[in-house]
This record gives sequence, structure tokens and C-alpha cells, in this order.
Amino acid sequence: MNKFPLLLTGIFLSLPLQAQEDEFQTVITPAFSPVTWERLVNAENEPENWMMYSGTLDSQRYSRLDQINTNNVTELEMKWSYQIPVIDRAETVPTVVDGIMFITEAPSNLTAVDARTGRVYWRYDHELPEDLRICCGRNNRGVAILGETLFMSTLDAHLVAIDARTGNVLWDVEVADYEAGYSKTAAPLIVKDKVVTGIAGGEFGIRGFIDAYDPVTGDLEWRTYAIPGPGEPGNESWSGDSWKTGGAATWITGSYDPDLNLIYWGTGNPGPDWNGDVRLGDNLYSDSALALDGDTGEIAWHFQFTPHDVHDYDSIQVPILADIEYQGSTRKVMMWANRNAFFYTIDRETGEFLEGEAYASQTWAQGLDPNGRPIRVPGMAPTYEGILVSPPIVGATNWYSPGYSQQTGLFYVTSFDGEQEFFKRDEDYEEGERFTGGGGRYNQPMDAFHSSIRAINPATAEIEWEFPIMPRSSAGITTTAGGIVFTGSADGYFFALDAASGEELWHISLGARVHAAPMTYAIDGQQFVTIASGNVVYTFGLKEN
Amino acid sequence: MSNLTTQLRPLLTAAFIGLLLSTSSSLAEDAGNLYNTTFDINAGLRYFERQCSRCHGFDAKGSDETGAPDLTGRLSRASSEVGIFNIIRTGIPGTAMLPVAADVADAQVWQLVAYIGSLSTDPANIDLPGSIVSGAGLFTNKGACNSCHMIDGQGGRQGPDLSRVGERRSPEELLSDMLTPHTDVAPRWWTMRVTDNDGVVREGLRMNEDSFSLRIMDNDANLWSYPKNQIASFERLETSTMPSYSQTLSDSEVDDLVAYLFSLRKEN
Repeated sequence: MNKFPLLLTGIFLSLPLQAQEDEFQTVITPAFSPVTWERLVNAENEPENWMMYSGTLDSQRYSRLDQINTNNVTELEMKWSYQIPVIDRAETVPTVVDGIMFITEAPSNLTAVDARTGRVYWRYDHELPEDLRICCGRNNRGVAILGETLFMSTLDAHLVAIDARTGNVLWDVEVADYEAGYSKTAAPLIVKDKVVTGIAGGEFGIRGFIDAYDPVTGDLEWRTYAIPGPGEPGNESWSGDSWKTGGAATWITGSYDPDLNLIYWGTGNPGPDWNGDVRLGDNLYSDSALALDGDTGEIAWHFQFTPHDVHDYDSIQVPILADIEYQGSTRKVMMWANRNAFFYTIDRETGEFLEGEAYASQTWAQGLDPNGRPIRVPGMAPTYEGILVSPPIVGATNWYSPGYSQQTGLFYVTSFDGEQEFFKRDEDYEEGERFTGGGGRYNQPMDAFHSSIRAINPATAEIEWEFPIMPRSSAGITTTAGGIVFTGSADGYFFALDAASGEELWHISLGARVHAAPMTYAIDGQQFVTIASGNVVYTFGLKEN
Repeated sequence: MSNLTTQLRPLLTAAFIGLLLSTSSSLAEDAGNLYNTTFDINAGLRYFERQCSRCHGFDAKGSDETGAPDLTGRLSRASSEVGIFNIIRTGIPGTAMLPVAADVADAQVWQLVAYIGSLSTDPANIDLPGSIVSGAGLFTNKGACNSCHMIDGQGGRQGPDLSRVGERRSPEELLSDMLTPHTDVAPRWWTMRVTDNDGVVREGLRMNEDSFSLRIMDNDANLWSYPKNQIASFERLETSTMPSYSQTLSDSEVDDLVAYLFSLRKEN
């Protein structure tokens, strides 16, 4: 393996706290070496780097770094901060490769900084039209990297390839027409020699898809629609022509299993969101997990969490893949805490439903049947007058990344026990206009609701512990071999919990909403943990004695 | 709406937009919004629900989630219908407030302006039965409202500052606040009861509470801040400390107070 060609010239510090671990080594100068597919497949063996949105292809967000651990996490101090110049809400998860950090910024910009100091190497500002069609803010959540090229989604529904060393644009392709309501916010996923990426626009009557692009040329290699066309299985699950404007956006990053050669990707709500009268049927493959062939994009299997959704319960969660002990044998599973308030453990080879339970407050379903299909409570669909339903539109969770710890075998999710009045409205589709068919309204202040970080046993779907937060969180979760769950909260805290017990270990007030997931990396034997809060990216490390 | 008005509207609109484009905004402001009938307001409501409610909320009261402001009271970025029109038409650069699509007709934007205007109560259009002068007297005398509430720097600290309450509360809401104060109490005015590790109990208004700490103001206006992990327990009382005036003031006295409070605005 030649991923560290300059290893011999590197300088290795051996800090006292890190003396027991020699699992990783890092070259410090010069920074950056090309990221091969082999490096991405084996990313967990390179914990000093965070080379993709979810850390590893299985999206566990589990780092083998343990220098920061349950015994010393109280010794964390801020090492540097980076102020994003465009004021908006940072949802970025930075990527770190060999000492360089790549930070995406609102609206669709990208900056490379020295991961040790936060000082800038280069900056890319993506030019955007003024009449964007975006539902929910000017966000970008991260990049993918292959070789020496970064791949970034933009709000005008382009995919841009950028030279990692200079910030120069290598190519810029239109994925879809922004004027028709398409946009892009999520980090792409590298799968072998392709850049796999989804699309946003579920509130504009788009037809969702997952694309794969050639990383060198930007040519489209395959496109798999999340809504089957005429003659394809599943198209009959849409009444009339409703499939054409049925949404099922694919607006968060998926996962990949190299052994099974399957890509796993979530799909969003059917459109219009809150008026199902115009799209009778199950509305496949909205609100589903799709397993796609890693070479062709063909759908190997699907699992629909919420058939005929009328509450905007997108299945836009990052699929977490792990091999777990289940009923006496090792199973390859996919774990999923859904916006609809149910947690699912699914066999990721076949799509077979194994376990599922509500993990948060919900009033719309009596439970799940033996196949994992929800048993609906009658009369909970939105009405013209409004009807109170839990979870609210924002969901029991949402796009914020969940985490999984290889040490505890537990799945961790940010959960919200809330409720909201849902309204239905009649709307005709017009290209480029919102197509939602209603909306929602809270009847209580946010502080009246309960919110928590919950740890779930995937073999039983039971909640092992919860840590209350308020008023709620939209932060992702990262776990480490130091026995820690790192996450944040909407009231501006970044904090560490004991992964086994849920006990609070450390917190710091960063003062602005944490709307992103933490990530961790190391340089010269020193572990860092980074989180975006407000418009600032903060990096912490242990105090040096 | 008369047929004549309907027929004239396109002409008037053309003339009006012409004014808007060719003259200063003050002239346009003088022209007013020609699309302010009940029909227009309802059309604006439909447009709002479809295009704006995702960020501003279905009730237009804003959203902490999106950071979009409450549109039902005084607007911080626009003080006139033209100002609202321009924000909708051009957006607010550097924010998530995008302009409406270029092919949306000005008439539709004006209908939206009319709907937003309908969300706040223009005092010029309200004829309240009570007496402002009598209400002002009741506020400091019989009602003793000033023992808890400040107006223009005078009064107590145990309730919301009412110096501009007329901008954010309608007369109906003010009436409800006085008669049924325990309904829909804002979290800022809940009470927290804290028991520290020595067993000392301290109670006060909930200035702020977050995941790891809380801050209260006790009856003597002392400010206290507690880390949650360094106290024995805490309890939230989601009721108001304000008494109901249904038994202590007559109907006409309550009307006087409503008239007085509704008159409290910046321009006064």
C-alpha cells in the first residue's frame, strides 16, 4: 500500500495520552495524497482521516480513534475555529484527508483549510442564479473525494468536480433543471469508479432519481428513478399520471456494501406531501430504502417504510450497515430510525424486515405488521380543518446522521416527541412551483415537547437509554472507540455522552444551533473532533500538558 | 367588488405599476394596494400556504426551525405595503428569503401583500368600546398592572414589558390575556422551582432553559443560573403568575384596559 508515500519523512509525536495506540500514523508534510477506491473501502483502518460524509461506506460514523475517551474528554479545549463568510446555517460535515479539511458552506461554496489550524488553502464560490427553487434553506452538507478530485452538489442542481489541490473547477454538469424545482444539497458517495448522487425537490413535484457519474468526464453513467415509469413494476402504485410529479427525492447520502456490491439509498416523501387524494396507491418507491446494484444502478430490492405517506415522513436517513448477532446468528443488517417514528432492522442482503418498534412518540400507526408495514390508525390523514398527529412534519428524526458503535453494538439517534396540526389543501401542479398540498402548525411552544438522544439495540429494537435535551436537536451523531457519543443540540451545545450508559461526560456552549454532525480525525498522533455550530466550524482536542 | 372595478382593475394596475417603475416609492405608497378585497386576501392566503408556509409556518407566525420571522405583527424589514411587495419580489439577499419566480404576476404578489396585511390589526380600522385614558388610570391604580409590567421604563419586572404590546397583540388576545392568563403561557413566563443539592428550594420566572442549564429571576428580581447536573431537581410550572381580572374588574374596566394596551405602539 502506498497511501503514505512520504511516510519516512513524517514526524511522529507520541503524546502521553496516546502512548497505548499505534493503530494510525500520519504524514504531516506535504499534506494530501490521492484517495484511491481502496482507501475508501478501508477507511475505518485510516481513522486519522474522515474521507466521506459518513466516515466509512457503511455509514456507522464510528471512529477507531480513542485518544479522546471517557476518562479524559473533560480535558477538551478549542484548538481553532473557522468563520464561514456567508451567513447562513451550516449543515456541513467536513472531510479530512492527510491534514487538509474540506468544508462546504452555504449556499454552494467550498473551502480547503489546514486541519491543524483552520487556515485557508483555497476557496471555491459557486455562481448561482437568483431564482433558485429550494424548499428549506441554503444548505450544503459535504463533499465526496476520489483521487485528487472533490465532488460537490449545488443548489442549482449541478454536480461540480473540483481539484482538491487548488479549488479549480474540473467539470460542472447540470444534473437536473433547477427551474423545474430540482436542487442538490447532499454529499455524493463514491462507489468504485463512479460518483453516486441524489436529488432534492420533493416539495416541487419532481420525479426523484439516483445518478452515477464518471469522475473524470462528468458523463452520466446510469440513472435510476425512485418512481418507476410506465410498464415498470411499481408504476401501478400511482393513480393516473401522478407518478410524473410524485417527488421521492433522494436528498441525503446513501451507503455501500462492497461485499454485496449494493448501494443503499433513502427516498423522500411522495408529492404533493399532504394531499394523497391525487396520488392513490402505495406510491412506490417514495419513503423507501432502495438497494441498487453497484455497477448498473438496477434496483435489487426495496423496502417501503410509509406506503402512501400523507405526513411528509421522508425516509431520508443515512442507512447504517453492520453485521450483528441476531437470534443466534450473524446477520448483515441495515438499521434505520425513520422520520415516521419507527426504528427498523432489515436484512440488507434481501430487504427482509427483522425488527421494528416505535422509538418516539407517534399517533398515526397502531404498529408494524410482520412484514414491517405500518398498521394505520384510521382518520389521521390531514384535513382541511387540521388534525393533530405525532410525529410532526419535522419528524421523530430527520436527515441528521444517526450513529452506531462497534463497542456497544448500539444505534444512536436524535429523536423528537412532538405533534402538529396537519392541513390538506388542493393544488394543481405547475412546473417550478411548490406542490405540497397543505402544511402544518404547532399548537404548543417548542419548549413544551420532549427531545432526546436515544440508544437502540438493533437486535430487539428496544431503547437502551436516553439522554434528554431541549428544545430539540437537529445534530448528527458520531461514535468513537474512546467509548464516546459526540453530538449537539439546537440550543447551541456540543457534548459527549458515555456510549454505554448515556451518562453526560462533557459539554460546551457554542452559542448557536448545531445543525450538523461531528466528525473526528488526527494529525501527528493528536485526535481532533470538529463540529459546525451556527456559521462557525469548531475543532477541539485535548489540552497539551 | 363591482363589475366596474373588475373591468378597470387591469388598467389601474398597469397605471399603478407604471408609477412604481417610474417614480419614487413614496408615490407608489400613496397609491396603495389595489388588490385588497376579501377575494384578494383569500387568494393571497392560498398563495401563502403554498409558497411561503414551509418557512414562515402555516399560521405565518414564523419558525425557529427555519429562522423565518413571524409575519403577524409589526414587520422589522418593511413598514409599508410597497416595502412588503418589494421584499417578496426581490427577496432579501444573503438570506433564505428568495424572490418569487419572475413569471408570478405583480397582481398575485399584491394579493399576498394584502394577506400579510390582514394578519396584523391596523388600529385605524378598529373602534374599541373602552377609554384609553381610563385604561391608563386602571393600569397604575385599581389594576396595579404596573406592579409587574413596565411601560416606557416604569413598572415592575415580573411580567412582559408592555411598551409596544399593541403591535403584537390584537384586542381579542389582550382580552383573553386578562381574563384567562393561564391559557397559552409563553415559556418565558413559566415558573421554575429548583431544589439545590442542599435542599434549598428557589422559585422564579423561567428566563431561559436549555439542555444543560437554566436561569430564573426570583420575586426580588435576583437572577440565578444553575447547571442542571449540579442541582437535586427542578420542576416546571407551565402556568402564568398573572391573576385573572375577571373577578376584580368590571367588563367596562377590562374594555378600558384593552383600549389602553392596544394603543401602546412605537409611534405613540
